[in-house]
Amino acid sequence: MSIITVQLGQCGNQIGFEVFDTLFSDSHCPQGLCSKRENEAYQASCKERFFSEEENGVPIARAVLVDMEPKVINQTLSKAAQSGRWKYGQHSCFCQKQGSGNNWAYGYSVHGPRHEESIMDLIQKEVEKCDSLSGFFIIMSMAGGTGSGLGAFITQNLQDQYSNFLKMNHIIWPYGTGEVIVQNYNSILTLSHLYRSSDALLVHENDAVHKICAKLLNIKQISFSDINQVLAHQLGSVFQPTYSEEGSSRYRRNPLGDLMENLVPHPEFKMLGVRNIPQMSEHSLAYSTFTWAGLLKHLRQMLISNAKMEEGIDWQVRPPLPGLPTRGKMSLNKELHFNTSIANTVVLRGKDVHSADLGGFKDPALYTSWLEPGEALSVWRTQRAFSKYEKSAALVSNSQFLVQPLDMIVGKAWNMFASKAYIHQYTKFGIEEEDFLDSFTLLEQVVASYRNL
Amino acid sequence: MGRRRRRAAAAGALPEAIAALSRALPAGPSPETFRRAKFDRPEAAPALWQLLFRVLSPLQTDRASASLAPEAQARWVKCALLSQGYPRRGLAQLPEDGSGGSRELLLALSWLLAREPLLERLLAQTRVRLGDEMPVCECEALASPGLPGPQVEIDCPVDVRHLQWLMGKLRFRWRNLMASQQEQCALLGKIHLYTRGCHSDRSLGHLSVAETELLRDPEGGQQLLRRLQSENTRLEAALEWHRRELVFWQWMDTVLDACPPEASQPAFLPSLRGCGAAELELVARELQALHEELRAAGEARRAAWAARVGDLGPEWNAAQRAAQEAVGRELAALRQAWEQSGGLVQPHGPHRLVRTEAGVPGGPGLRAAEVIGALKSREACLEETLHQLQAQCRQQLARLAGALPGLIWIPPPRR
Repeated sequence: MSIITVQLGQCGNQIGFEVFDTLFSDSHCPQGLCSKRENEAYQASCKERFFSEEENGVPIARAVLVDMEPKVINQTLSKAAQSGRWKYGQHSCFCQKQGSGNNWAYGYSVHGPRHEESIMDLIQKEVEKCDSLSGFFIIMSMAGGTGSGLGAFITQNLQDQYSNFLKMNHIIWPYGTGEVIVQNYNSILTLSHLYRSSDALLVHENDAVHKICAKLLNIKQISFSDINQVLAHQLGSVFQPTYSEEGSSRYRRNPLGDLMENLVPHPEFKMLGVRNIPQMSEHSLAYSTFTWAGLLKHLRQMLISNAKMEEGIDWQVRPPLPGLPTRGKMSLNKELHFNTSIANTVVLRGKDVHSADLGGFKDPALYTSWLEPGEALSVWRTQRAFSKYEKSAALVSNSQFLVQPLDMIVGKAWNMFASKAYIHQYTKFGIEEEDFLDSFTLLEQVVASYRNL
Repeated sequence: MGRRRRRAAAAGALPEAIAALSRALPAGPSPETFRRAKFDRPEAAPALWQLLFRVLSPLQTDRASASLAPEAQARWVKCALLSQGYPRRGLAQLPEDGSGGSRELLLALSWLLAREPLLERLLAQTRVRLGDEMPVCECEALASPGLPGPQVEIDCPVDVRHLQWLMGKLRFRWRNLMASQQEQCALLGKIHLYTRGCHSDRSLGHLSVAETELLRDPEGGQQLLRRLQSENTRLEAALEWHRRELVFWQWMDTVLDACPPEASQPAFLPSLRGCGAAELELVARELQALHEELRAAGEARRAAWAARVGDLGPEWNAAQRAAQEAVGRELAALRQAWEQSGGLVQPHGPHRLVRTEAGVPGGPGLRAAEVIGALKSREACLEETLHQLQAQCRQQLARLAGALPGLIWIPPPRR
């Protein structure tokens, strides 16, 4: 089944390019460490999901590119064309001359309705190219104007027009020290609107990815391209093909659907985070070996101590002891920063993958009291190695990991809102104070729900 | 001489009739099993439980249901027969481990055979399908009870978040199913388009999936031949059974004579497991007392109400008239809908999908557009009902929330 990627704004388009490039190079990587036949099945499965074929044999990304400024889209198109290995469709992009000036309201209320028809037409054409469509993957920033405002608008339209198809929004959480003064306003508006219209919000924090570039990859001058490559690597390690069930050698048909069924059935808990291990520069990779037990031990500790990478994990954090009353458990959690999960999907790729023991992830103490580990944990595997890593593991989790940053953003936005700062920039374009209040209510409810796991 | 020959012929006729029945049934047991069941021999029971399970399964027995434990199968057979109104209580009391009761099971099977065209239904279910078929209604699936769900202990408190989680899971599965259906339709459309003009039957014009598969894989042709042959055998057996079934029913009379008569009891009483007779009596007395109390309270209320209504005067009369009018309108609308749907013969059962050229007058079949129209109007009706029920729930929730001062009620995000 196919997934249509919608790349929105500067951020969405730059990341989208890296994602397709990563998917393509991985599926054509000769170091898959598996039989030729298996490799072909893997390639075919990846292609069905993310690419369609043109007559001259160059795969075309199943993507729609949208931005209000032409610069980034032109760069993206030409980078893809230069690679010569895959490209974007000729009529798959929409751009304008003037951006949104980091104003969410402008993207949502002006650009959205004005260009609704053209953009939805493009998407419709892409949908018609699919024999079977699973859903949409919408990449956008959270705090800007075009990606986030227009993105929220488009997601809502997709919800109205394609209600049976799945929608996952990949959103980029801004740096804590962002330069846009209204980024917290933009963020709460994006999140609250997506919470109403999307099925799942896959969140990447710029700060965390930045640290990965600095600490694990030893990059000195970190560019957006470096950051986006890490994001693309993490997404690829989740969405590349895996076997449909334990013991099967057929690839999963509907990864988006399976992921959502495993992780986000509850309408109040839609926030997903990705962690992966190992992550290192190509140079160090050549001198490293890994065991499944070691990788999974680290990954588990990353999950429960809410670490975004394997360096600097707090090994003191332990799951709460069973038998403690809930209230005691909560305060203890807070003390130790224990990250309680609702549900997790572990994706394992590479050599001897069937021997990997997931016992550590089946501990009921990791999860909320109302789900059994059997319901909360799913494991995807494939023997095919991912992107030159002999063994690698990724974890998509629906957990408390975002409670703190979310609470902080809501708090900062509230402080500004209380003094009515910059509100007129929004009311000018039809986003009223009432809309802000609705957003605050919804997100505070989300924070409370996650806190009370 | 003549009489002895007739008796010998009659003696031979019964096993042959039963053999024909067995051949016509899916995995039918041997005539010997039937003979043993007449004498209520325990070794005949497991085969008969299984046969009844196959016969009563709503769909072709698939992997999931075949893997059910014999106890679960037996429970299911009991439920299914009960829901179809099977009158003998002896069946409900049979042990579920398959250790006995073969005569009761034989009686149940005969009851099913006598009551509906069972063989015809089963043969239609397992028929070899060459065309691409699609059911235009789901009435059969809706009418038959589903397989038993896993037993849930409801003694412990349930976290509502778990229920919401399960509900959400169900929703995703449903969407997944929709996507798969759409994929199937898209692929069917492609096959029908590409094989246009290939079919020897002019009225069809194109090949079906099964026929296309035959072209691609001649080995499949052998398999198809074998399946058709076995279906033929079953059809022949069914014909033979109908020629000979009289002797079977005469024999069943002797089976029925052999079992002890059941005390006739008009209504079925569910068995209260784990409750002693004393407790039952206690419950009955309590119930009686409650009933009395309710009647007394009801009468008092009614009297008070009548008195109050008397005071209300014209206002009340107007309200009453309005309510009566509303009821009358609804009744008229319902009657009209009923008459409209009664005039049309509802499309029913599986139909072969055939693509026709636009503008070419169709044959005797149904038009997809008509079926879609009918389904859409049905969908609209159901949706309206759903909205009404949702609104009721919302009102109720709001009322409950309003009863708790200091509580802010935030409706959940739309899904």
